[in-house]
Amino acid sequence: MSVLEIRNVTKSFSTTTAVDSFNLTVGDGELVCLLGPSGSGKSTLLRMIGGFETPTSGLISIDGEDVTRVPPEKRPTGMVFQSHALWTHMNVFKNLAFGLKLRRLPEAEIRRKVEAVLELVGLGGYGHRATNQLSGGQQQRVALARSLVLEPKILLLDEPFASLDQHLRERLREEVRDIQQRLKITTLFVTHGQDEALALADRIVVMRDGRTEQAARPDVVYREPATPFVAGFIGTMNLVEGAVANGTFKHSGFTVPVPAGDGPATLAVRPEALEIASADGAGMARIHRVTDYGTHAIVDIELPDGTRLKSMTGEARDWSHGQPIDLKPRAFAAYRDNAAIHRSN
Amino acid sequence: MARMLTERRIDWTGIFFAAVLTLVIVFPLIVVGTWAFTNVWRYPSVIPQEFGLKFWNQTLARADVWSSITMSLSLATMVTFLSALICLPAAYAFARLDFPGRNILFFSFLAGHAFPKFGLLVAIAGIFLSLNLIGTFWGVVLIQLVGTLLFMIWIPVAAFQSVDRRMEEAARDVGASPLRVFWSITLPQAGPTIAAAILLSFVGTFYETEGAWLIGAPQIRTLPVLMISFINNQPVIQYGAVLSVLLWIPSFIALLFARRVISSGSFARGFGA
Amino acid sequence: MTTTTAVANDIVGTKRGRWPVGLLLVAAPVFLVGWMIIWPIISAIGRTVWLPNEGGERSFSLETYAFFFSDQYSLNNLWLTLWTTGVCALILILICLPISLYLRFAKGRLAAYVQGLAIFPMFVPSIILSYAIIRVLGPNGTVDLLLNSVGLPKIRSPYLTPWGPVIGLVWDNIPLTVLILLSGLGAVSNQSIEAARDVGAGRWALLWHIILPRISNSVLVAVSFTVLGIFSSFTLPYVLGPAAPEMMGPFMQRTFRDVNDPTMAITQAVIAFGFCIVFGLFYVRSVAKNRAA
Repeated sequence: MSVLEIRNVTKSFSTTTAVDSFNLTVGDGELVCLLGPSGSGKSTLLRMIGGFETPTSGLISIDGEDVTRVPPEKRPTGMVFQSHALWTHMNVFKNLAFGLKLRRLPEAEIRRKVEAVLELVGLGGYGHRATNQLSGGQQQRVALARSLVLEPKILLLDEPFASLDQHLRERLREEVRDIQQRLKITTLFVTHGQDEALALADRIVVMRDGRTEQAARPDVVYREPATPFVAGFIGTMNLVEGAVANGTFKHSGFTVPVPAGDGPATLAVRPEALEIASADGAGMARIHRVTDYGTHAIVDIELPDGTRLKSMTGEARDWSHGQPIDLKPRAFAAYRDNAAIHRSN
Repeated sequence: MARMLTERRIDWTGIFFAAVLTLVIVFPLIVVGTWAFTNVWRYPSVIPQEFGLKFWNQTLARADVWSSITMSLSLATMVTFLSALICLPAAYAFARLDFPGRNILFFSFLAGHAFPKFGLLVAIAGIFLSLNLIGTFWGVVLIQLVGTLLFMIWIPVAAFQSVDRRMEEAARDVGASPLRVFWSITLPQAGPTIAAAILLSFVGTFYETEGAWLIGAPQIRTLPVLMISFINNQPVIQYGAVLSVLLWIPSFIALLFARRVISSGSFARGFGA
Repeated sequence: MTTTTAVANDIVGTKRGRWPVGLLLVAAPVFLVGWMIIWPIISAIGRTVWLPNEGGERSFSLETYAFFFSDQYSLNNLWLTLWTTGVCALILILICLPISLYLRFAKGRLAAYVQGLAIFPMFVPSIILSYAIIRVLGPNGTVDLLLNSVGLPKIRSPYLTPWGPVIGLVWDNIPLTVLILLSGLGAVSNQSIEAARDVGAGRWALLWHIILPRISNSVLVAVSFTVLGIFSSFTLPYVLGPAAPEMMGPFMQRTFRDVNDPTMAITQAVIAFGFCIVFGLFYVRSVAKNRAA
């Protein structure tokens, strides 16, 4: 059964349309990542679900109930803000207890619930601390706990780890995933980091200009991007503009068999799927630079017209600057008019 | 290469300023303080012949001192109360709501500072004359109330604006009504700065001399006004000294509590720096 | 499918749709500004140029202004006010600029002490200050005591001379001048100074070419603020200054209360407005610019 349903939601500000006829259905216990560059409307969408913005048109329902014009305090959603927005004049316990007090729960139960949730986020015994005595990661955990303690139907996370360093971010997102799975809580997670989305989500919704580009499982989004935009946004991708003629894609000496009708096309191939082979004679391209990362090497390739491509190989020592090579894409996709016309596998 | 001034040197400039400012700023006040606790100090002795609290008893026994203390306190309390009552909601509106003419109305509070103050007081007094407000308690309240407007609007506006919107949204999110958010989140967050503004306006009103003198005298006699008449007409030096020490108490409290707000940059920016 | 349409409405934000509430909340203080500041100024100008004639009818006349500018005593008072204001502004800048420069670049406890002292007069009401100045610099004051004890002659006391108010007003205005200048100096980055040193600028070149141009606006704001405050100051000149000529503040007060000639007092006020209008406008403009940013 779907917990959240967004139908045809549009949000216009005076000059721009942030979210444009958006549709999404989220199932019970699902963790959906809204992924997109800044300005793609993902945060606005989340704020509409939380009740902080009202859609210009469209319908949002939670558990089958229309909440489109319900104010945030009456919605069964819990929001974790990027800036964590802890109330600095209250200690950790009071931050968590505030919502429970508003619900007039007995003192003992408030205490029990708060302590249980603090334990859950790994901050057992931190109740008496002032919020400014906590590290960035701990503050974000308190913000998460503050939402969780009210047992919301839907947890909304608005780039919660954006202000943390890489290391901490990775650890926290694993914790969030664990907690989410344990509580089976329906979660929407806004991020502009593809790693985060790939690591966390049951489903990724890639957004661009207020619309959905693709909504699918992470591995599908990664392996079978629906559009060149998704292809370019998730992971590293070589995107080559060219044309298909007689079943062959061609761009400046680089040719790949693409069984599709004649016309312009964009070829997308991941560095790890772009094999290179030493060429006799001129070859398709030349090696521009080799960067050794130890576990693997990235080879920068230059086509005759100057276009650069990347290839990932196991061994750096086999290659050197200026060496003529041939390109053999193992897996690739071709796009025309923003849709895939061919996938190699 | 940039020369670094990290080596430890004797800060002669600092010592010079410290010495001169101590002499010029602290010394006169010490002299006044000394006079207040002096029973006998006749020329040309460098130190008083006799210390004591004799004149405290005499000053505090005077009816005019007590009546002006009461007058000053009730004026300052009334003005601060009214000012907070009308300015704090207005400050919240300026900080958080949108309405036509918001900016021009906000800057209109500067008008009082664009003119020489005493000239403005005389112009207001001209109007009060026809309203029969001269020499009345409420006339002085009104004129002092106007003097507090700029501070009591601008400082709280900055305080409200600096409260993170997300904090308020987070409170809405956990189920607080807008009114509850204001009471439990916005006000406590902006509280210390607003308290400082209220304290400053109380102290400022307590010491306000010119409006009280022009509008209130002779019926309304505040402590500073009484002090002027002591300076002009009172041959006993110690009365003035004791009154000075008494007068300085509110300032001392303000010094303790409002210092951080004043030395912060936002305060000076309020003056256009 | 149902499609609900509504005006964009931010729940917690600064948005339309609630402006009557906003106007209602600011109504009281805005009314006070209109009634007690804007209206008195307009009315002051009106009352002094539309004078009642013998029949009681009001007609346009510049009589009171003509009187002011032909009356030697009034002119002396105006001149004294201009002199005091100018001298105070000059002395204030000469004293406060070095202090602010020192505070901008110095660190540590001594600097904190100097800053504390420079701001301290803000917490001393001018009436206590007047009293203190009389006790220290007045006849047989502390300075006289000290000079006498080492066998030197008494000073010529500034009390009840034009220098009395000057000393008091400078003392009183040090804190805000220092704060305004310091805030201006805060905008001069350490890097720009180090860069100038790097190309070989000495102390004076640094001050003249790098620092002063950057803080010239703050200096002007400080001067405007001082001029507005001193031009019509009352308490200090009233207590410390000479009886005649007197500064505009006491002069207005005396004309209003003792001579009981409100029209003439208001004329003097309008003249004071006229002399300060440039500084007032500049001051308001820079504050507004600062707040808008």
